Amino acid sequence: MEKSLSVKEFSRFRQRILSERDTEYDKPTLVICAGTGGLASGSNDVIRVIKRYILERSMQYKIQLRITGCQGFCEMDPFILVEPGRQLYPKLKMEDVPRVIEAAVGGYIVDELIYKDSRDQKCYHCQNDIPFFGKQTRTILGNNEHLDPIRIFNYIEVGGYSALEKVLSSPDPDRIIEEVKKSQIRGRGGAGFPTGKKWELARASKSPDGQKFIVCNADEGDPGAYMDRSLLEGNPHVIIEGMIIAGIAIGATQGLIYVRSEYPLAIKHALIALRQARDMGILGENILGTGIDFDIEVVRGAGAFVCGEETALIKSIEGFMGEPRQRPPYPIEKGIRNRPTCINNVETLANIPVIIDKGAEEYIKVGVPGNTGTKIFSLVGKIRNTGLVEVPLGMKISEVVYDIGGGAVGKARIKAVQTGGPSGGCIPASMFDMPIDYDSLAEAGSIMGSGGMIVMDENTCMVDMAKYFMSFLKDESCGKCFTCRKGTQRMYEILDDISKGKATLKDLDLLEELAYAVKDTTMCGLGQSAPNPVLSTLRYFRKEYERHIVDKRCDAFVCKDLVGAPCQSACPVGTQAWRYVAHIARNEYEEAYSVIREANPFPSVCARVCDHLCEERCRLGTSGDDPVAIRALKRFVTDRIDPSTYVPARKPWPSDSPPSVAVIGSGPAGLTTAHYLSLHGCKVTVFEAESEPGGMLYCAIPSYRLPRDIIRKEIESLLDENVTLKCNSALGRDFTVAKLLDGGYSAVLLAMGAHKSRPLQLENEDADGIYPSIEFLKAFNLRDEQLAKGRVGVIGGGNSAIDAARMATRQKDVDSVAILYRRTREEMPAFSEEIEAAEQEGVEIKTLLTPRKVLTTKGHLSALECVRNELGDTDSSGRRRPVPIEDTEHTIELDTLIVAISEDSGTDCISPAKSSGIEITKWNTVQIDAKTMQTNKAGVFAAGDVTTGPNTVIEAIAAGKKAAFMIERYLLGGELAQPVEPTLPKVYVEPASADMVEAQEGGRVETPRASVDWRKRNFAEVEVSLSAQEATREACRCLRCDLEFTKPKESEEQHAEPAAVGGK
Amino acid sequence: MITLKINGLKVTVEPGTTLLEAAKYVGFPIPTLCHMEGLSPYGACRLCVVEIGEGSRSRLVSSCTYPVEEGLVVRTASSRVLRARRMVIELHLASCPQSKVIQDLAAKHGVHQQRFHQEYEDCILCGLCVRMCEEQMMAKAIGFRGRGENRSIGTPFDIQSDVCRLCGGCIYVCPACTLRCTYNEPEKAVCGACANLRPPCVEKDEFDDMMCYMDPCVACEIKKN
Repeated sequence: MEKSLSVKEFSRFRQRILSERDTEYDKPTLVICAGTGGLASGSNDVIRVIKRYILERSMQYKIQLRITGCQGFCEMDPFILVEPGRQLYPKLKMEDVPRVIEAAVGGYIVDELIYKDSRDQKCYHCQNDIPFFGKQTRTILGNNEHLDPIRIFNYIEVGGYSALEKVLSSPDPDRIIEEVKKSQIRGRGGAGFPTGKKWELARASKSPDGQKFIVCNADEGDPGAYMDRSLLEGNPHVIIEGMIIAGIAIGATQGLIYVRSEYPLAIKHALIALRQARDMGILGENILGTGIDFDIEVVRGAGAFVCGEETALIKSIEGFMGEPRQRPPYPIEKGIRNRPTCINNVETLANIPVIIDKGAEEYIKVGVPGNTGTKIFSLVGKIRNTGLVEVPLGMKISEVVYDIGGGAVGKARIKAVQTGGPSGGCIPASMFDMPIDYDSLAEAGSIMGSGGMIVMDENTCMVDMAKYFMSFLKDESCGKCFTCRKGTQRMYEILDDISKGKATLKDLDLLEELAYAVKDTTMCGLGQSAPNPVLSTLRYFRKEYERHIVDKRCDAFVCKDLVGAPCQSACPVGTQAWRYVAHIARNEYEEAYSVIREANPFPSVCARVCDHLCEERCRLGTSGDDPVAIRALKRFVTDRIDPSTYVPARKPWPSDSPPSVAVIGSGPAGLTTAHYLSLHGCKVTVFEAESEPGGMLYCAIPSYRLPRDIIRKEIESLLDENVTLKCNSALGRDFTVAKLLDGGYSAVLLAMGAHKSRPLQLENEDADGIYPSIEFLKAFNLRDEQLAKGRVGVIGGGNSAIDAARMATRQKDVDSVAILYRRTREEMPAFSEEIEAAEQEGVEIKTLLTPRKVLTTKGHLSALECVRNELGDTDSSGRRRPVPIEDTEHTIELDTLIVAISEDSGTDCISPAKSSGIEITKWNTVQIDAKTMQTNKAGVFAAGDVTTGPNTVIEAIAAGKKAAFMIERYLLGGELAQPVEPTLPKVYVEPASADMVEAQEGGRVETPRASVDWRKRNFAEVEVSLSAQEATREACRCLRCDLEFTKPKESEEQHAEPAAVGGK
Repeated sequence: MITLKINGLKVTVEPGTTLLEAAKYVGFPIPTLCHMEGLSPYGACRLCVVEIGEGSRSRLVSSCTYPVEEGLVVRTASSRVLRARRMVIELHLASCPQSKVIQDLAAKHGVHQQRFHQEYEDCILCGLCVRMCEEQMMAKAIGFRGRGENRSIGTPFDIQSDVCRLCGGCIYVCPACTLRCTYNEPEKAVCGACANLRPPCVEKDEFDDMMCYMDPCVACEIKKN
């Protein structure tokens, strides 16, 4: 490399490179990301394979290879980008690499390997069209893919050093500062101080010996942030160019890049780039003959988070412990060795050449006034497209998270995003319409920080998140300020107590008080922003804290000491699923049955229709595998064991005259209450409006899912000498609440359920042939009437819609069945296995449709006019809204229409309750105190769907169980609401022998189903029980989360021995 | 000369004076723990915070390290200052309740309880001993090491320092171990060993043995309880 001696010479050299570039670029190029992220995903292997392939076949004249720094799309690493077509081949396997090379040479596209959107599987043939890139403005980061960081020519080829040339051709510090001020760029390190102003102050600041410093702050230490690293790794020359310009502007002769030793690749690339710049004469003494001296050194930090704070950084550069000191004096007055020192973030410096080159006027066109330019964010966490994104300031958070980031990974909805790393705050999903700029973020209680953006979904516990960050900060605080050192430690302690269920609401107030005190009294930015994670989560997610403290629940199932075994704490009735699974693994089926029956009076029913929250939360499932098939195992046990093996413990009522309790409604909630009260010696009368007991179990759930004899058997076992059942007696028609209370009943439970389908609110809805789903199901289940005829349409996407549809296919006069749903199949609330089964049985699922009009002939339904939808913006629930497309109205001809949108209790049973003075909510449900299950009337309780609207069987059973405890407490005159304890595993079940567990192979067992042809035309049960062998195998898959709590401690001696060895 | 307003009072002082000195000069008391005349200001204990500035831009700074500025408005006892100060004292009390200095501070500021997990630490890392050793005794025998909650005071590599002259200056200035080493009144100190021996803060582990040849020793008594 020749040293340029003058600016003119350098200019000519640059022009030559630029003109050569155009001739070079006629052959295809493979671009590979080899930043730290890429290397970690194996891009080095890809490079090796490519090199060997090219050399072995002497293809070096047909194709070229460019190894670049991080290009931002880290989720897809290792990938190859093929120029000039810009096809992106993501997540490549080594064996696929040759195909990509051949395709690049041959000029065609490999369709199987090209980038596809993970949601709709749409292929994108050009990188620019991919939504992840499409919405970004990659002014700074965009260059990374065009250059090899260790080749200065590459940088010059993309227009590098043209800003420097411009500055050096007539060096005028004032003009540079003026231009930077005009660009309104604010420091990208987080606080957002205007860079132009800082330079102006630094320029005006006097140094005793004329020496000033410019420091590039690359001490990026936030968990989950790596944009500075990627810039320094991927394009070190842009930083150098920015620093030289900054040096000229403030009159500094020495530049320092302070980078942490954890960034070896960044250090290596920076050192190479510095050497090249010196060789070329643009760095060092007398730069390009202009008489300006400026050199840059790399200073390695030991990796303390606090050293990112400027005064601590200066101490660290000087060789002392990284401890901040009081400002003023500011570093621009007294910095390194008391000389004026201007400290800028990596990204700020990377922006400088752009500003100088394009001019400030061009620069401020991007972004919004006061927040100009672009900002790089590292988008990480529970998001589909992790990576580095560069967007104009002022873009909405929702655009970054949903459009660029692609939204949530799994089913869980996105809950919040943490900006600014550990010292930033979280912003809840409801505020995602907020623009990303320094001021809005500060107002929301967060900070821009260096640009980390951690996305959190419903499986993230905010208490745990705050605790994690506090644990980070208590370790990373320098410890000088008492309030920072002790404050973070004490905040951590309180958060730890909360996450363990040991805290009280007073502690929450103390936490908040302490957080404000720490914010106020600490010296440096680290301490002042340290309470942000706590304060912002308290501000937006206080309920979650209170849930931990009062209810001892962690809804995200993260806080171990509250969750225990996730399957148990997910179960509304607290069934010890781990325990019976463990018994099944040991072939102890009777014990398993007792465990199930103890928690749940409807084991056989739940084994068939439970929505198995236990499986949703199974740790095997959340850690990547398929969850244990807990429900199928329950079915296996209940099918095999006679209910009589379990004899529930009974106790007599404490006084001689046991009280009488009236339960209205014989659904799962009512019967559960009746059962548990009867076990404790109460006399219970159950009133049922219909002719058969069972409520929704009987009239709504189809028999192919839940055979009638199973319901009958289970209910019969619950009707003992203390329980009297009175069918055909309805509230309002045959009795009133007041009459029951007067007539000798000491307490009343309302458990009538929700039996009224909500209407569509369309014209002609009362035409013949249109049925609410509940009526349709009831007609068949109770009266054996088959209402569906001809072509059947079902509106809705929930389980009740699927039930109605599958029921309709089985009816004799039906030709076809279609489900009409307004969103897409992914958004359907029904269980996926139910949807699948419905499809197998021939139900057609038409999505993205909204009914507009009911067409009738002679008062009978003839067709439904619908309009097509498309998915629009993401709403605060994280689902995309259905938006009707105009002029897409069309009619669907139908003979029967079943409406299954939602149910409420309906006026038949709610108005008599209301007339007895019981408070009703606006959703037409009974208002209760959630803690005590009591209505506004003393002695009158309510449980089940009548309080919640349509809900699952297990929730109704849980409510009934709770109501039984509350009624008993009420009858005994005790306090109703009592403090809760977390449900943790308590009983130790020895695991099946290791050999046996290891001998089991294969993944989750498939629930056996009857064949489609057979089941389609009858009402017999579809799902079949597992075989004993399958059950054992499935049970052995359990991770046994309970052992952590139940395993007996090993004896002291065994513990002592290894410790003694270690001591030597 | 620089003129500023402290609690509404106009004060004119020399440039380079700290807010603490200026406030003392006009007679406003500001409690301190890590400050000592003759030692350089450090700003570790955060007890001396005062409120500066006005309106939404007002903030708390440690008065011992903040230099006076022309026209600065300072409040040494605003409700925000008092609230913060009480929390600082409460935190001190939670970590080091046996210190007479801290007990007195708590009593004076009406802090009657602490709500955290009680700890019994014998060092609040105020750094007085480090500065005493370096600036007055010119020894630099002890210093800080570690960061965050692992920060502690000691000699390099925990080896007895060659430059330590066992002057006891470090113990003399220590606000946390005053009670322990010299009892609550120096002339009534039970053993006096701590004034002559290696600072106990330095050799925590050997501390017990060192004191034990003097029987009874207050240090042992306190540790036992």
